[in-house]
This record gives sequence, C-alpha cells and structure tokens, in this order.
Amino acid sequence: MALTGARALPRPFLSPIGWLALVAGLAVGAPLLGVALAAFGTETADIASRDIARYALTSAWLALLVGGATALSGTAAAWLVVMHRFPGREIFAWALALPLAMPAFALAYGYSDLFDVAGPLRMWLRGSVGVDLPFEMRTVGGAAFILSAAFYPYVYLAMRATFLNQSTNVLEAGRMLGCTGTSALWRVALPMARPALAAGVALAMMETLADYGAVRFLSVQTLTTGVVRAWSVYGSTVSAARFALPLLLAAAVLLWLERASRVGRSHESGRARWRPVEPTQLPLTRAWLASVFCFTLLFAGLILPLAWLTWNLAGTDADWARLGQALSNSLSLGAVGALVTVALATMLALGTRELPIAARVASLGYATPGAVMAIGLLAPASVIWGLAPGSGATIALVLLVLAYAARLMAAALEPIDAGLERVTPSMIQAARTLGRGETRAALEVQLPMARGAMLTAALIVFIDVLKELPATLILRPFDFDTLAVIASNYALDERLGQAGLPSIMIVVLSLPAVIWLSRRIAAARPGA
Amino acid sequence: MRKVSWALAGAVAMLLAGCSGAESDVTPTQGAGEVNLYSARHYDSDLALYERFTRETGIKINRIEGNADELVARMRAEGANSPADLFITADAGALWRAQQADLFQPVESDTLLGAVPANLREPDGNWYGFSRRARVVAYDPAKVQLNEIDDYAELATPRFRGKICVRSSDSVYNLSLVGALIEAWGAERANDWVEGVVANMARPPEGGDRDQIRAVAAGVCEVAITNSYYYIRMASGEDAADQAVTDKVKLAFPSLGGQGAHVNISGGGVAKNAPNKANAIRLLEFFASADTQRHIAANNNEFPASPSVAPPPPVDAFADFTAHPMSVAAFARRQPEAQSMMSEAGWR
Repeated sequence: MALTGARALPRPFLSPIGWLALVAGLAVGAPLLGVALAAFGTETADIASRDIARYALTSAWLALLVGGATALSGTAAAWLVVMHRFPGREIFAWALALPLAMPAFALAYGYSDLFDVAGPLRMWLRGSVGVDLPFEMRTVGGAAFILSAAFYPYVYLAMRATFLNQSTNVLEAGRMLGCTGTSALWRVALPMARPALAAGVALAMMETLADYGAVRFLSVQTLTTGVVRAWSVYGSTVSAARFALPLLLAAAVLLWLERASRVGRSHESGRARWRPVEPTQLPLTRAWLASVFCFTLLFAGLILPLAWLTWNLAGTDADWARLGQALSNSLSLGAVGALVTVALATMLALGTRELPIAARVASLGYATPGAVMAIGLLAPASVIWGLAPGSGATIALVLLVLAYAARLMAAALEPIDAGLERVTPSMIQAARTLGRGETRAALEVQLPMARGAMLTAALIVFIDVLKELPATLILRPFDFDTLAVIASNYALDERLGQAGLPSIMIVVLSLPAVIWLSRRIAAARPGA
Repeated sequence: MRKVSWALAGAVAMLLAGCSGAESDVTPTQGAGEVNLYSARHYDSDLALYERFTRETGIKINRIEGNADELVARMRAEGANSPADLFITADAGALWRAQQADLFQPVESDTLLGAVPANLREPDGNWYGFSRRARVVAYDPAKVQLNEIDDYAELATPRFRGKICVRSSDSVYNLSLVGALIEAWGAERANDWVEGVVANMARPPEGGDRDQIRAVAAGVCEVAITNSYYYIRMASGEDAADQAVTDKVKLAFPSLGGQGAHVNISGGGVAKNAPNKANAIRLLEFFASADTQRHIAANNNEFPASPSVAPPPPVDAFADFTAHPMSVAAFARRQPEAQSMMSEAGWR
C-alpha cells in the first residue's frame, strides 16, 4: 500500500506496464504451461529407467563439455582480440562471431560426412597414407566439439563487450597492485566479467540441451531422444513432457546462476573517467600463435564445414523456384519473429520490477527442446483451432511467431535487460518529478536508453529464427517451406548433397546480420 | 526512439491484425477443387506427382510435410476442426499409430481393393499401402557367401560376431523389422535375435542406412541392414563414389522362415473428419494407380505394391525377390514392444 501525500489511493494491482508484462508473460509462457500440464497425465510410455538415466547423463555431460569449451575458447578469443595486437586482429574482432550464422544441424551434416569412417577423407588417409584418424564425430565428444564450434560466439560476444567496457583505470589500478598480463586477466578482468561469462555460457548450455537436429544426426542420445521416443514410438505425450521437466529445471538453474553472478557485481566507475583499453603488441611468436588460435575457431565453426557442404553440392540439381520461395518465407518469418519477440521481451523487461516472475518463466523456453515446445504449443493451439475451424494460414503464422517468441525469449531478454540496467532509479525518479507518469517515464526515458539493446536482441532472434526447425515444422501453414525445413527434409532422406544448398543459403542470409551484430557490440562502449 | 516505438507498434498491430483477420481467412476447404494433404513423405519426385494429379483432376493439393508423428500430433490437436483430408507416410507403424489415435475413417473403394494386395492394407480399410520397401542386407561378396545370409536368423549367429553394421533403434524401419520378427517367431526368439545382433555389431549404431552400406565398402563390417531403395539409389545414381561403393557391395534379400523378405510400405489413409472426403479418396486412388506406382518406383526406387505393375528400371533388376506375405498391419502394432526389446538389449 503506497501512500502519496495526504490522499491515500488504493494502489491498483498492476500498473499499465505491469499489465503489459503479464500479457506478454502469459503469451510466451502458455506453451511451457502446456508442457507442465501434459506431464500430469497417466498414459506413460514403457521406457526403462536405465535408459532415462543414460539419456540424462549424456545430456548433462554434453552440456558441461560445451559449457567448458565455449567458456575457455570464447573468453580466450575475446581477451586476445580486445587486449592485444596481432596479425588479423581487426578482422577476427568481428569475424569470430560469424559461426553464429551456421546452424548446428548444418555443422553436424558437414562434420559427420567429412569425417565418416567410409568417407573420402578417411578412405584416402587409410589407403594412401596408411593412418586413420583417432576420433569419431558420431560420439559424445564429437557432438561436444560440433556444438562448441557452433555456440562459442555467445561467450565471445558477451566477453568482448565486457572487456571493451572495462576502463583502463581499473586495469592500471590492478597493475599498481602487481597484476600484469595474465594475472590482470585472472584477478581483475575475469572477476569483473563474471556476469557476462555466466550469461554467455548459460546461453550456450541451454542451446545444447535444446538441440535435437545435430545430436540426432550424430546418433548421440540425449534427453531430447527420450522425448521423441516417448512421443513417436510409444505415442505418450505424458512421458515426453516428463522428460522435458529436468530440462526446464536445468534452464531455471542456469538462469538463476546467471542472475546470482550479477548480484553485488556493479563495478561501474564514473563514466567521466572512463578511458578505452589500449591493446598491447604481442611479441612475434605469440602474435602468430594468437592469430592461429583465432583462425582455428573460425575455421572449425564456419570455414571447414561450409567448404565441405559447398564441395558436396557438385552434381546436385536445385529447385530454384522452391528455394527462392523458402528464402523469402525464412526472411519474413525472421523479421516478424524478431519484431514480435523484441516487443514482448521489452514489455517483460520493463515490467520486471513489478512482475519479476514473468520474465523468469518466459526465459525457460530457451532450453526446451523443440519437440517438447511443440507438445506445449499444440495445447494452446488446439484451443485456437477449436474456435476457428479450418485453421487459416494467418492463424498458423501467428502461432508460429508466438512459438518463436516462447522459444527464443531468453536470447532477447538478456540484452534488453542489460540495456535497461543502465537506467538508474534516479533517472526515472527525475522523470517522475518532472511530471511523467510511470508509463511515460518508461516510454521517454527507459526505451530510448535501451534502443541499442533492442536492436541487438532483434538481430539475435532473427538469426535464430532462420535456423529454427521443430516449431516451424509442426505449426506452419499449407505449402509453406523455410530453408531450414527443406534442409532437414533432404538430410532425413539421406540426401546430404542437396541438404547443403539450403543450409548454405541460411548462412549467407544470416551473415550480414551477424556482422552487424558483432560491430554493434564493439561500438557500444560507455564512452561512445 | 520514435523509429523503434513505431516499429514495435507495427509489429503488435500485425499480430492483432493476424488474430482478427482469422475468421475471414479460413482455408477454403468445403466444396470442389481442393484436397489437404498431410505428408510425411518429402521426396522431390512426389512434387511432380502432385502436379500431375492437379492437371488430371483439376483438384488443387494443399500440403504440409513433416515427421509422421508431428503430423499425427497436429491432427490430434486440431481435433474435429482439422483441415486434414489425407495422411500419407512411409512406415506402417506410423499409420498404425495414427489409426490408434482415431484419426482415420475406413474407406471402401473397389479401385483401392483392386490395386493394393490384402496384406499391404489395413483389414478394415483405414489405410492402404501404395509402394513397398524391403529391409534387407548389403554384404561384401569377397567375405560373405550369399547362402550365409539367406535368412534373417543367420545375422544373429556367431558367424557374424563383430561383422554387422546397422543404424540405431530410433529408425522406424528397424522397429518394423523387429516387430515382424516378433510376429513371426514370438517374443522370446525375437529377443534372442536382437541380443545376437547387438553382440554381432561391428560398432555402436550410428548414421543412416547409406552410411552402413559405405561402411561395408570401407571394410568396417561385412554385412549391413538397409532399406532396399538406399542401395538401389546409390547403384543407379550419378555419384561416382556411390557407384564405386555398390561395385564392391551387393544386395541380398534374406528370408524370414523361408517365406520371404520383410517388406514395409508407403501408404495413407483418409482423415476421420476430412472436409473433402471425396477428393481425399481420389488422391489415395491416384497414389495407388499403376502410373503412380511406376513413378515412385522409377524415382524413389521403392517397389510397386501391386503384383500387376511391372517394376520399371532401375528397380527391375532387384525386384525378383520373394516378399513375406505377413500383413503389414500385424508388425506395425508391434513397434512399441520392439523398441523396449531393443533398448533392453542395448541396441541404442
């Protein structure tokens, strides 16, 4: 109960902004609610608990491996690029984000084919050189490698932004206290960057838990395999939903860890004294090693698989009319999906102070495997289909866009939340003192300050929508293909040559967005 | 600021417009001229079929393609309002699950009865098969004699310890094969077979059927379990590397108790609440017609369902085998049992 002045007004349950957040939270949370409700049914599948344990263990192991590998490689790359001069640094600075354009399933196609025991590379190695490669791609280790190559940019982008944002003053203070070079990284920069590291690694791990396209292709059986088996073979949505609960729990834990790492970590020094970091020149050998390291990341995450898919195109014919239509569908879905998701994310982020739970719940979709999301989505969808016979194309598209929002909310909320954090309570109070209501203060103060963050979020969602598969497969209207759908259909039919072309088109389409995103993040320094 | 808020307002408006415009935007279903196809077959060569159907009948095909089980889930969620007219897929088990979910209606059609042999359709007419695929064995003739693999039972004998390549039990084709063994032999003997094959695996199951065939050529294993059309496609395609593989690897059609090879179907059924039922039956009859069976055989390298349809090249060279007379409906319902058996035995 708030008392203002002499009059005591009954405080409304929620402000207009709070209501918007509630509506956005409900729209995005509906599928998750659908999953939770589905888990309470009785028709369970006959899946041995031993198998469930094995799937869960594989999922956990894979997420940990990817988390560790992306944390190391992403942080190392960001530290090298921000703090040092070495050959190619200016290019690597933005190019290291490019693997974001590569769908994980396309990486899996490329790598499993390239390193297949019966593929041309290993046949030639065995026949002509007399050696065989000591690793297999279709293993947990191989899957961890592929997913790390796909997801390290999440960590790299977050860490690079943070390192760029740190002020030289802080590092100088550290130096005076005896921390130079590597120890400046370990004792000053890293502790200060902990929230960014947690955010990047959380995104990478949630993507790993949610992945199905890549792991299915690699015959690595995770909890999502359990979901699909329960659903497909045994026809039990109940068991499928129950498989999803540990994944939702994992997402909740990751998000909580990420929040917890932010607490008490506000080190902002006065903006007036902020000075950009001055990179130091690396000695010759180390400089080249730095270049090789950065190139290796880029090579593994983009160049090698893309080159192999391109090479395999030779001799396959393409249905250009169909691909062109799919390209335009992908683009429009990406654009509308990004706009709607960012709008909903903004409502949620603005309402966080009143309704923190809405934003938390809405973020859980990010670690939810597509098949599970599909189960959850079909519950609210069936209500809508029941009301509107015929399920017209528009309804299907609206459902699909909401599905994207539900699935990708965490990726959009993260930057917008961070952007809004730059708005200090005193700024809002100043606006209120100047006679603005809560809503106008939000529109005139908070939104303009978060504008850049909203663009960043929109780019991330756009890129993710282009790669999205399960929701698109299950909810799209008649005669509506996207590039990812076509790629997946060819791959399921074991026509990898033809699956390559739509995959490459996804990469080409996403590249400008990734480059823009990468440059934006570099430019977003306090001094700028 | 202005620009962003306008963009957001625009996005919200689009969403709202989408919702309110829905009533006027119902897919035109009732009446003549349309049929809504839910297809879990997604072969390019099917597109040519759809065009021909529209040309011949004037009926437009609206299609959604996806995994069989996703389409079944969608039809269930759409309920009585589902626009689905016809559901087609490439595995009898998936058809059986759709039937279990009460998504089909029985269809009586003399054309279908004439075109589809009794064992390749559901006894009550809920669904019909229109093409066949055999689950058979690719082998290295330098290491394996043909008479060593003339029965599925032999794959589980110590002769092939460490010599078999096969994909995981995620594959519905493996589930159907084991389902057929359960149907023919009973659960106990089928279970012994599954355990024997797991013991005989040259490596943990990985990849697709083509990868197994390639692995035989690469010397990883001596025999591989595969669907017939993958091999035929590799042998008759334009890819030189694939042809080199099939020069070294041959295809054999083992028998189940001397009665013939295990055969699965591509097939379809008319949706329970089909708004265009007559057109759906017409499309199903079109799929079962001799011309379409020939088209699918020639392009996707499956075998025609009707004994009266002569197989075209390139499948004609492989079509001279005996198919087991077991009803596809009989093994289709055994898939869940097969999955449990295989998981228990460690067939991942």
